[in-house]
Amino acid sequence: MSEQAALFEPQFLKQLDRLALLTRRNIAGQMQGERRSPRRGSSVEYADFKPYTPGDDFRQIDWNLYARLEKFFLKLFVAEEEITLHLLIDTSASMDWGEPNKLRYAAQAAGALGYIALASLDRAQVTSFGGGNEQRIPAGRGRAGVPPLFNLLSQLKGNGNTSLLQASRRYVQTARVAGPLLLCSDLLTPDWEEALRTLGRRPFEITVLHVLSPDELNPPFEGDLKLLDAEGGEALDISADLDLLQRYVERLQAWREEVEHFCTTRGINYIFVDTSLPLESLLISVLRERQIVR
Amino acid sequence: MGFIAPLMFIAGGTVLAGIVAMYILRLRREERTVSSTFLWNQLVRDVEANAPWQRLRHNWLLWLQLLIALLLAFAIARPFRETVGVSGQNLIVIIDRSASMGATDVEANRLEAAKNEAIRLVDQLPDGARATIMAIGGELDVPAAATTDRREIRDAIEGIELRLGGGSDMSQALSLAGALAAREEESEVAILTDGQVTVPMSATLPAKIRYFPVGSSNNNQAIAAIALNELAPGTLTFFARVTNQGQERVTRRLLVTLDGTLFNAYDLEILPGQDQTVNIDVPSTASTVEARLDGSDSLPSDDVAWAIRPSSDAIPVRFVTPGNRFLATALGLMPRVQVSAYLTETATFTDTALLTILDASLPEPLPPGNLLFIAPYRSTEYFSVTGSLDRPVPRPAPTDDPLLRNVELGEVNILKSARIENAPWAHTVIDSAAGPLLIAGEVDGRRIAVLGFDTHDSDLPLNISFPLLIANLVGYLAPGTGGDSAILPPDQELAFAVTNDISGVRLIQPNGETHEATPNNGLISFDGSLLKQAGIYSVELLNDGVVARSQRYVVNAYRESEAKITPVQVLDVAQIGGGQVGSSETTQAKAGREEWWRWLALAALIFVLIEWVFAQRSALTRLKLWWNARRSAA
Repeated sequence: MSEQAALFEPQFLKQLDRLALLTRRNIAGQMQGERRSPRRGSSVEYADFKPYTPGDDFRQIDWNLYARLEKFFLKLFVAEEEITLHLLIDTSASMDWGEPNKLRYAAQAAGALGYIALASLDRAQVTSFGGGNEQRIPAGRGRAGVPPLFNLLSQLKGNGNTSLLQASRRYVQTARVAGPLLLCSDLLTPDWEEALRTLGRRPFEITVLHVLSPDELNPPFEGDLKLLDAEGGEALDISADLDLLQRYVERLQAWREEVEHFCTTRGINYIFVDTSLPLESLLISVLRERQIVR
Repeated sequence: MGFIAPLMFIAGGTVLAGIVAMYILRLRREERTVSSTFLWNQLVRDVEANAPWQRLRHNWLLWLQLLIALLLAFAIARPFRETVGVSGQNLIVIIDRSASMGATDVEANRLEAAKNEAIRLVDQLPDGARATIMAIGGELDVPAAATTDRREIRDAIEGIELRLGGGSDMSQALSLAGALAAREEESEVAILTDGQVTVPMSATLPAKIRYFPVGSSNNNQAIAAIALNELAPGTLTFFARVTNQGQERVTRRLLVTLDGTLFNAYDLEILPGQDQTVNIDVPSTASTVEARLDGSDSLPSDDVAWAIRPSSDAIPVRFVTPGNRFLATALGLMPRVQVSAYLTETATFTDTALLTILDASLPEPLPPGNLLFIAPYRSTEYFSVTGSLDRPVPRPAPTDDPLLRNVELGEVNILKSARIENAPWAHTVIDSAAGPLLIAGEVDGRRIAVLGFDTHDSDLPLNISFPLLIANLVGYLAPGTGGDSAILPPDQELAFAVTNDISGVRLIQPNGETHEATPNNGLISFDGSLLKQAGIYSVELLNDGVVARSQRYVVNAYRESEAKITPVQVLDVAQIGGGQVGSSETTQAKAGREEWWRWLALAALIFVLIEWVFAQRSALTRLKLWWNARRSAA
């Protein structure tokens, strides 16, 4: 519980209990759960009729229909299964920056969604990648999965340079089942486009949480400066006058629009987050509005 | 154009090189860690390798700073352009403030033009140079003496005012300038006048002399003489003489006003250098007359004159003499003079008389009141007699003294005269090579004149000038009796005797201002500074605050030497070792250096301001946005 307290206040968790994860389509799971699956199963909700063929379970034959038509039909019901929520968190050094800290904010957002999923008897699998050090906890299920989830999230630290593309490729190859996927990243890497394209190759229902801090949106710079890249990139000399800062803001806006356009055209949910936005507002207002939760 | 300190360009070049080096050297920048330089990389142009030098790029700040440094380099090199002016380390400026400098043929008037020129000369002075300002015209004034304080010098120049009286004698000024110049090398004397000045023949200065003529016109007509005389009982005659000092024939209208009412007007056509007179009978009741020339010329101050009717009171004159027919005859010709003759000097005179003439007589003690000494044979408390002058050749003193009005001395011979010395209170009226022959002045509140020679030792009494000279002397020594004696030159001290019943005297100036004085030993004196305006002055004699009697005086601005306003282009003043300077050629030589580094410094200052605004434009824009937001919020 101490890890929970580190990420959230108990009061906040009670608010999360009232939320549920939404998916845009039915997703097949591995075990029975509480979500409609594209498969036919044994729930009480009628789905369809199917002509009997040898080998079918004769216990599902609809005898009333046989009495009327003198043909065997199977009565099918909707299957209810669990889903697996994939939480991908960018833990590169660039994420561990800003005030409020971007990595902390991303961990809280992922933790909140993970908690919502686990509380709904779904699965939540967390993977962090940064500096070549990938951490993953197996998909937990139910509230029993909450402590390990929060434990991992609260211990995340920014580290080194990250190839978002490589991490995405690896994840696509190793993920066992598809499902909703939340990518928390600042996307401050040249290969963000290819990385998102790679994730789109599996039938994940992708949501990109684009996290930037206020200081990145409006840099408080003035004068002649040497900019040091937190991820160890090449240092940059600038003369931060109003003109340069204005052009930076314009460039940042254009880049955000570019990312959003890319996501929209590929069915990816794009949510831009300024870390000065309270987490409650993100979950209750923004994610509800974007129909990620309800 | 030249430079006083061209070596300063080396310093300026060093600064320029330093500025360029600062831009070539890579800046030592403050380090800031950012999450990623991913976006910045797409913006920043000036990314260079980590070399200590970088390529010089176009930068407005660099160009502004180079321009400022260049301007300052030029400024400290002290550029100058040669101009008509002065260049010495000790400048002596002599400014003429006499009446002729009031001519308006140049902007404002000649005096203002001369003052502006003087300020320009002072501004040209090198740093540390000293300046002395002298004002001639009347008594010599030295409002600033050998000072380096430019503000004091400027204030001294600007404080010089026009003097209607006193003429333009340069002898004192040149003597003082010579003494000042002898003490310091590189002295230079600048004379700013219209040239209508009296320059002593022997004037030689150990300094460079530069003459700056002022004025451009000679167009002046003046009322040269005015009188209101009662030639016969019940008959009052007005006389005026109008002179044309210009070079062209002119027609001027003379307006005659009696007691404030226009009486008549006369159109006078006057040839160049000629006079026109008006001699008319006027109503016998008139007491004052004003004559005014209608229209305008270059010198308006002498276009108006006043006269007052002579007093009918007799002028009591005490005449102490062993016997002098010439003087008795001359005094007898004067209509209102009432002479009381005393043949002995042994008598003691204690009562106050307006004038006592002591002809070869020196009673002990001297009588009170104004005195005219003739041929004093011994020293008195007012002067010393140190011997005699044999056959002195009389000549008028170069001061255009009114005592010599209409007096011609060219034919006068003198056998011998007393040598008069030690009279610092007096000015010389008739001079000779060996010493003064007639002096006059005021001392201890009384007017005194001393004629050095006996009338019997000269043929002057046989000359028509003699009664005129005596009349002038009596008029000077017995003022306040109306007629000619009531006409005073400007700036002349007014002193006269009063009887014992008078407790105070009030002087009312033409502008209505009043000044009061109390008798001192039976004598009243008003300083000449109270009589510098032209017009009619009233003097009220008070007995316990009640006006017992009143007198009137007239101050007319006309002075023959000042009415000639033709600018003189050559002023003959000799300088030691430099030949004749003061001619127009040497005056126009470009000896002065007009420095203009101040303009460069001002331009540099402006560019510094522009550079600051340019450098701080981000902060200024933020300030502007904040201000707009605040206004819109309000």
